[in-house]
Amino acid sequence: MRVVLADDAVILREGLSRLLQEAGFDVVGQGGDADDLLELVERMQPDVAIVDIRMPPTHTDEGLRAAKTIRERWPTVGVLILSQHVNSRYALELLSTGSDGIGYLLKERVSDLEELTTSVNRVGAGGSVLDSAVVAELVGRPRQGDNPLEHLTEREREVLALIAEGRSNRAIAERLFVTEHTVEKHIKSIFGALRLPQSADDHRRVLAVVTYLNSQ
Amino acid sequence: MRARLALVGAIGLLACGGAVWLAAHHLPNRPTEPGPALELLVGISLLGCGIASWRARPENRIGPVMVLTAFAWFAAQLIEASAAWLNTIGLAVQSVWVIGLVFLLLAFPAGRLHGRLDRWLIVVGAAAALGLQLMAMLYGNRAGLRCPGCADNLLQFTHDNHKALAWLSLQRLIGAVLLVTVIVVMLRRWLLAGAAQRHAVAPVLVAGCATLAALTATVCLDLAGDPLGALPANVYFALMATVPVAVMFVFLQRRLARGMVAGLVVELGGASAAADLRQALARALGDPSLELAFWFPSEQCYVDLDGGMVALPEPGSGRGSTFIERDGQPIAALFHDPVLDQNTGLVQSVCAAASLALENERLQADLRARLIELQASRARLVEATDSERRRLERDLHDGTQQRLVSIAMSLGLLETRLPSDAPEARPLIRETREALTLALAELRELTHGINPPLLTERGLAAALDELCHRAALPTRLELALDQRLPAQIESAAYFMTSEALTNAAKHSHGSEIRVVATYADRSLTIEVTDDGIGGATTAGGSGLRGLADRVEALGGRFTVSSPPGRGTVMRAEIPCV
Repeated sequence: MRVVLADDAVILREGLSRLLQEAGFDVVGQGGDADDLLELVERMQPDVAIVDIRMPPTHTDEGLRAAKTIRERWPTVGVLILSQHVNSRYALELLSTGSDGIGYLLKERVSDLEELTTSVNRVGAGGSVLDSAVVAELVGRPRQGDNPLEHLTEREREVLALIAEGRSNRAIAERLFVTEHTVEKHIKSIFGALRLPQSADDHRRVLAVVTYLNSQ
Repeated sequence: MRARLALVGAIGLLACGGAVWLAAHHLPNRPTEPGPALELLVGISLLGCGIASWRARPENRIGPVMVLTAFAWFAAQLIEASAAWLNTIGLAVQSVWVIGLVFLLLAFPAGRLHGRLDRWLIVVGAAAALGLQLMAMLYGNRAGLRCPGCADNLLQFTHDNHKALAWLSLQRLIGAVLLVTVIVVMLRRWLLAGAAQRHAVAPVLVAGCATLAALTATVCLDLAGDPLGALPANVYFALMATVPVAVMFVFLQRRLARGMVAGLVVELGGASAAADLRQALARALGDPSLELAFWFPSEQCYVDLDGGMVALPEPGSGRGSTFIERDGQPIAALFHDPVLDQNTGLVQSVCAAASLALENERLQADLRARLIELQASRARLVEATDSERRRLERDLHDGTQQRLVSIAMSLGLLETRLPSDAPEARPLIRETREALTLALAELRELTHGINPPLLTERGLAAALDELCHRAALPTRLELALDQRLPAQIESAAYFMTSEALTNAAKHSHGSEIRVVATYADRSLTIEVTDDGIGGATTAGGSGLRGLADRVEALGGRFTVSSPPGRGTVMRAEIPCV
């Protein structure tokens, strides 16, 4: 799988590059800012672009804006955003462009080679990845008024959080030490509580969850 | 003012001409009446000096009273007119001008009567001069005597020489007593006055007392049955002409320090601003160009009313300067017309009278300057804190956080390269990595608390939204804010909300919080309301005090309403200029 990197901190870029190569990815280009990144993507047409959210010149959300541009111009290129902050708002903004091939991870997650590999692969394959800390913030938000999430049981919330992370039913079942059938039952009742039409598609489910959260 | 005085002067001259003509054509059997020369002298003296004094001291009643006295003086000559009604008027007002003279002398120099005795003297004088005159007129024409060749007295209903003379004698008697009393009052007042005042009003006292003495002598002779004593009358008329001249002299010489200072003191009592004080001093010293500057001891310089530093005028630059001290310390300086340098007595008196007000004003000016500086320095402090927070967050992000992430990456790499025959190392590395992740999470929380990235990147509305979502209690946010505001205002509003939410979660025992942020009329209002137990206060060392300081440093207002049992409302209003 062909990957490009963009991060203004050389030390992190190099480290990440080595990790990715170690994990068997083909790092075809590295850049220090959003312009570099867009040029690399155009030239290399990678499977995944891994982008630091804060880059020069303003060190705010250049990475996020570059990611949106990539989504627009090269929809087949997956984008994995790395951030040092849990910022559910940015995650939602990113996902509102469509959840196919989108990821948002905290930077330190990349030190877990297994998690990094899984995430890059999932994004490259058109799936979505949402950092568990971001999901926790989204799902754990206290809400006012008529909150459908309040109708969920503790277990259903847990399942929803795992769905929002983009996990399959099987993965959820394994994680929760239950059968897949049980997970399906939970999901059904979650969708019922959230008044969402059912779908077998993992990504659709994430989008549904995220769209729901976003609309609040 | 000038046109009005010119009109008064013109009318006065006409009246004067008429009176002089009448005096020149008077009946030869009235030798005690002033002839045309004295008529002219006294009339012009009263009129001219009255107008001059009026102009010099428009706020002082002395000038107008002198002019009125002149008209009364002219009116008295109407007795020589051939028309009966003019003769009647002339007879009635014949002695009215004496009241004007007495008022003049009693009220000099301030233009006001000094007390009950003064008022009584005027009232009794008026009653004698006008009232008893009218009584006498019921029984006779011209001093109670038959007056051959005179025009008719329209008030006379019968001729009774005895009654007419009795009324007139009573008038003369009362008049004599009154005049002596006035002389005594004037002398006593003069003796009680301070040296400067004594010196200043001496010409008026001398002229006034001499005139009144001569008048008293005339009246007494009249009473003694010698109405034809022409000499004292003429002496009296001649002296009479000197009184207005003396008054004008004193006024124009501006030597009336005490009188003016008294006026100044009254004015200073009402002065509320430095500009008023400057005006009062300019009026008292008769110099509209007067400038006022206050001494600022910390800066060791004089500062004008606009707060600018003032250079002292060079000698010979056409400006005089007077420095005012209080207890040996300079407090202010006056820059004025150099003419005033010749009149140090007045300037010194004015300065002495004004020194308290000046000191007061100086302290206030000092205080104002300090308050402005204090406000500015508070705002600077807040700004410095804010930029320090941003810098700290940035440093942590670019430095420590990245280094830690990089270490975590290396550990991850190390893990993959471990030889498969070192199974005891693997869990150790994993543990280290997890500890590192935890440290990073804590660091993240810390930097978020120092300066939430969303606040800098997306502004207050987004940051408040995030803040409310992260709050420990269910929080409803109502936003009427769709623009970025200056960084320090966004910061203050954000941290105020943050602290208020934390407080509510910790202490309120409430179940719900409402946050309302509104931007309208160039002012940001944040209101955080909970439904808890209340009792929150900004007193003591609570975090609320810090919030209040921060909001107030930006020129805003922070209020806490927290009645026990009825929840807490914290409200900040910050002007955005």
